[in-house]
Amino acid sequence: MSGILVIAEHRRGELRPVSFELIAAAESLKAAAGGPVTVAVVGQSPEAFVAALKVSGVDEIITLAAGSGDFDPDTQAAAVSAAIAARSPSLVLIPHSVDAFGYAGVLAAQGGYGFATDVFKIESDSGAWVATRGGYGQKVNVELEFPGKAVVLLTVRAAVYKPAEGSSNPTVTALAVPSVSAHVRPGEYVEVSQADDVDMTAAEFIMSIGRGIGEEARIPQFRELADAMGATLGCSRPIADSGWLPKSRQVGQSGKTASACKLYLAMGISGAIQHLAGMKHVSTIVAVNADPGASIFSVAKYGIVGDIMEFGEELKTHF
Amino acid sequence: MATKILVAVKQVIALDEDFEIRADGKDVDADFFLRDLNEWDDFSLEEAVKIKEAGGEVEVVVVTVGPEEADESLRKCLAKGADRAVRIWDETMEGSDSQAIARVLAAAIKHEKPDLVFAGVQSSDHSFASTGIAVAGLLGWPHAAVVNQFDFSLGATQAVIRRELEGGVLQMMNIDLPAVLSIQLGINTPRYASLRTIKQAAAKPIESWGLSELSLSASDVGEAGSASRVRRMYIPEKGRAQMIEGSLAEQAAKLAAIIKEFKGASV
Amino acid sequence: MIDSLSITRTLFEDFRPLAVTIFYAIGYGAIGVFLWGTWIQIRKYRYGTTYDVAGSLISRFKQMSATMLTHRTLVRRDHAAGGAHALIFFGFALLFLGTSTITVEYDILKPLTGMRFWYGNFYLWFSLVLDVAGLMLGGGLVFMMWRRGWLKPPKLNYARPDRSPTDPDYDRSGYRIEDWAFLWSLLIIAVTGFVLEGMRLVWLQSRPEVWDYRWWSPIGSAVAMAMRGVGLGAETAGTIRSGLWWFHGLIALAFIALIPFTKVKHIFTASASLMLRDPLAAQRLPRVPDTQESVGFSYITDLNWKQLLHLDACTKCGRCHEACPANATGAPLSPRDVILSLREFANKTLASGTLPDQVELDIHGKSPGQVSMETLWSCRTCMACVEICPVAVEHIPIIVQMRRKLVEAGDMDPLLTKTLQTIAKTGNSFGESKRKRGSWTKALATPIKDARKEPVDYLWFVGDYASFDPRNQKVSQTFAGLLQEANVDFGLLYDSEQNAGNDVRRVGEEGLYDLLATANIEAMKNAQFKTIVTTDPHSFNTIRNEYGDFGGTFEIEHYTTLLRDLLTSGRLKVTKPLGYRVTFHDPCHLGRFNKGYDAPRDILKMIGCELIDMKRCRDNSFCCGAGGGRIWMPDPVGVEKPAQNRIREAAWIEGLEVYVVSCPKDLTMFEDAVKTTGNEGRFVVRELIELVREAVASPVVLEAPVEELA
Repeated sequence: MSGILVIAEHRRGELRPVSFELIAAAESLKAAAGGPVTVAVVGQSPEAFVAALKVSGVDEIITLAAGSGDFDPDTQAAAVSAAIAARSPSLVLIPHSVDAFGYAGVLAAQGGYGFATDVFKIESDSGAWVATRGGYGQKVNVELEFPGKAVVLLTVRAAVYKPAEGSSNPTVTALAVPSVSAHVRPGEYVEVSQADDVDMTAAEFIMSIGRGIGEEARIPQFRELADAMGATLGCSRPIADSGWLPKSRQVGQSGKTASACKLYLAMGISGAIQHLAGMKHVSTIVAVNADPGASIFSVAKYGIVGDIMEFGEELKTHF
Repeated sequence: MATKILVAVKQVIALDEDFEIRADGKDVDADFFLRDLNEWDDFSLEEAVKIKEAGGEVEVVVVTVGPEEADESLRKCLAKGADRAVRIWDETMEGSDSQAIARVLAAAIKHEKPDLVFAGVQSSDHSFASTGIAVAGLLGWPHAAVVNQFDFSLGATQAVIRRELEGGVLQMMNIDLPAVLSIQLGINTPRYASLRTIKQAAAKPIESWGLSELSLSASDVGEAGSASRVRRMYIPEKGRAQMIEGSLAEQAAKLAAIIKEFKGASV
Repeated sequence: MIDSLSITRTLFEDFRPLAVTIFYAIGYGAIGVFLWGTWIQIRKYRYGTTYDVAGSLISRFKQMSATMLTHRTLVRRDHAAGGAHALIFFGFALLFLGTSTITVEYDILKPLTGMRFWYGNFYLWFSLVLDVAGLMLGGGLVFMMWRRGWLKPPKLNYARPDRSPTDPDYDRSGYRIEDWAFLWSLLIIAVTGFVLEGMRLVWLQSRPEVWDYRWWSPIGSAVAMAMRGVGLGAETAGTIRSGLWWFHGLIALAFIALIPFTKVKHIFTASASLMLRDPLAAQRLPRVPDTQESVGFSYITDLNWKQLLHLDACTKCGRCHEACPANATGAPLSPRDVILSLREFANKTLASGTLPDQVELDIHGKSPGQVSMETLWSCRTCMACVEICPVAVEHIPIIVQMRRKLVEAGDMDPLLTKTLQTIAKTGNSFGESKRKRGSWTKALATPIKDARKEPVDYLWFVGDYASFDPRNQKVSQTFAGLLQEANVDFGLLYDSEQNAGNDVRRVGEEGLYDLLATANIEAMKNAQFKTIVTTDPHSFNTIRNEYGDFGGTFEIEHYTTLLRDLLTSGRLKVTKPLGYRVTFHDPCHLGRFNKGYDAPRDILKMIGCELIDMKRCRDNSFCCGAGGGRIWMPDPVGVEKPAQNRIREAAWIEGLEVYVVSCPKDLTMFEDAVKTTGNEGRFVVRELIELVREAVASPVVLEAPVEELA
């Protein structure tokens, strides 16, 4: 087994950015893999994605035509299985995504592969793969090895590797996928109702509030503070789940990514990994929290320990 | 014919303050372990109990793979409306990863023959987010992950589900039954189990199974049956923010300056 | 010379024997109706669960009599109403005694033994006393009518905060009609009594044994003189007297017959309620018996018979309604309406010999007679209602028992659910690791002893807020400093201490309370100490009054008595009398619950503060709103909170510098309220401990003196 197989991910006709991050990861590991980097894309018309995938580091692109155009776990597992069988990679990289939750475990169980999920560091130790992931609620790092496994399947955390750029001239191969009975039939997409017309992904200055605010009654004063400063008001998942702010304002893994944000002020947010997924890339993060041990302080540029209510009021006096 | 829903649960471990890594460097010192039922399992169990309470003959069975301490979490599930609780453990299961656990659960499902299997999307301690679905893979059952809505009628051969995708998007899907579903937070509002009901649940028996009941061997579980092995566990060096000190007024003033500078620069 | 034997009133004078018979028949009939009505009430109480009365009934009876005779509970916070009620009470009692006295002679002694005593001087004094009694009765009634009809005090406003005008049981006109009917019928009885007296005098004016002694019935005599003055003749007076006699008699008998069916029954139910009073009703809540299947009150038949009696004792005086902090800030709770709703429900469902189906006995909900979730969750368990009720109704145990059922069913605010789960997991409401409970002590120069490892004199039970809330941690550190300077031998339980459970119990999570109390008691039993001292009134209450039921009886004092002792004995010396103008907020669980009003005031005096009490002070202190688990529930947006209401009250004090508290939750609530009511800069909130620190010599000042902050 040699080489690395990267499974690209797309949704609603667009390749997801994480695909390019995985390609970059594969490129950095190419030498250790002792073989080519192959990118596989599964879909109803996978050729549509080929051009975009010709980035630096890609040696081959495999298209697997199968399914209805939208992701379904059975078709995906069968297709990826076929790709693995065809190319015998020593390492298979899948994004750690909602789609992957639906089939990665199946693949590993049926193929008997080495398997780890949500890894953020991959190394080779004398030809053997070593993957690092979090443990105990991301409080520790765990290094995993896969003795005796010819193929290692890893799901890779998003926003860890810088996406691959540039261009390349890979061979393009179409592979047949054995027909499979799909037990899940994808249906329509539902956009979370936009209670207010806010686009978190376009905001440059965001002020997000989290569980630290305590009560719903306190939302208005933070809204006023955000308005006074010219920031877009965002929130972490618990706030949206409780209905205190519309879901459209939620930043995080199952919410919005603050893609355009350059200044992110996190008030009363502890820094759970799911929230970080949506904002840790922001160049300037300021965190205000009453708990000096809050994880948010490890990704923030500036930190203030204090009562967010009092701080908020004091801050408002400057605007 | 009663409908049986099997809910796979996990007693997760949170770390207490100032925890230490064990001498062998492969795990945290167990003195610092704080155990509780996985947050996702509150939701998957609630979903099963809701189906039971909607009417008809439904049996809810909770199953966990874990040592004796896990009984406490099973009792909580019994207090919340589960009919039976099963704990599977054998010393050889120590060191099992998600894939090995999935193998054990698959054997349990072959034994119990449920009509539906629920699991949580992930556990709050190690967040593999794959165990439940891996079980489906071993059994060849239909499966779907990150389900936050489930419309089910007893005896149906299909059901409509909703997946929670990234970025706040949801997707409707149609799935064949029986199936394994991994349940996401927010699908329902889990009920409160008062201490009294938990104490009363202590009177209900918890079935205990080992390798033999499930026709498994030691090589199926533990490190031998896992798809990965822990090489090292360590406390990462955390990046640290530059803390702004001073009185409240001073801190606010400094932050206001940072903000104004940013806004001035971006204009 | 007039024979004294003839100085008397001949009963049934000039009545045909048939008339007398008819009268007696009606009389016995009235008594029969009265007895039957009483039986229906008693049968209703019997549907309740058992209740064992503690203590001897004789001493309870004596206490009740003393309370009634002094009208102690009625004059509180309303001297006028109390006084007027005393007039009515004693007037009516005397008149009743008088009639009974006559009956004793006429129906018993005279026929059986021929003995007579109701004549001559006895008769004359008797007449005078009864006239005065009638005047008292009438006067009291007229005052009450004026109070109700013209003065219209807010507490007599029957409008319900827990129902909207469209609800079927919103209208209270039935009660109002009953109130006025009660007043008027008694007044008519009194007035016709006097007119009757006057008529008889005019009718029998030719008899010297009557007419010469008429002024022994001064009111009756005045009526007689006036009637004669307008030309009323003896014969006419006699005719009027006959008719009026029947009118007066029938109304009086009807009144008596209807006692068990009307508000008038409070004569019996109120006195019984007072007799059965549990002085620790709110401070010491009942355990769930191990044999009991369900928990808390779901059905009307879950109440015990004493509580069903309480429901009937209520006279809608409105004192609880007025005192309740939830009601004062617009919450859908009035203790009065909880009691009245349940009473209406009991009267509807328990009025017959057969019990309706259990499903119809459910007291939870929004239908007529039921109590809603929102109402029950609004309660702060501050016990203002129980404390002021003149007839000893015990509202709080009923509310908490109903909450127990809500908790069991999971019908709670999500934030409360989360907090209970947090407490179950970590032993404190902040979700902090148990290991961090003693972290606040790290700031101290001298470490505090671990009471689990070495014996100490005082075990200091710190409590959640004082251990984990940053503002309150400072107070704990200050107190530790004071104790160390006074060379008090004290220690902590450190991470063996858990939430004492007072509020968990009052929320209704009895299972969790059991867990906490048992764990704390075990930790305390394994430590060696003489007394417990605590800075937290809630912990103080539960350890003092409730831990005993769980096997832990300890001596405990609140820090105020300890500090007072240290100051009086000179172990702490005041070197800088503060001279601040202060007011003191009595914490519910220290003041009302455990009568701890004086120690804080003594301390304030000793440290040289000028204390100006607020109007609602001591037993009438107005709760900060955090009790009963409310600190774990969000407050409705845009509505005044109890703490704000209280701060506004304090703001009326001219030149107030410091608002003094002695409870961690009060400190938190009031500092917040000072800001949100816009009183920041006018006065500050300080814990008593911090003021003592300022006044007492110390090498290091931990808290900036008050003046510097202004």
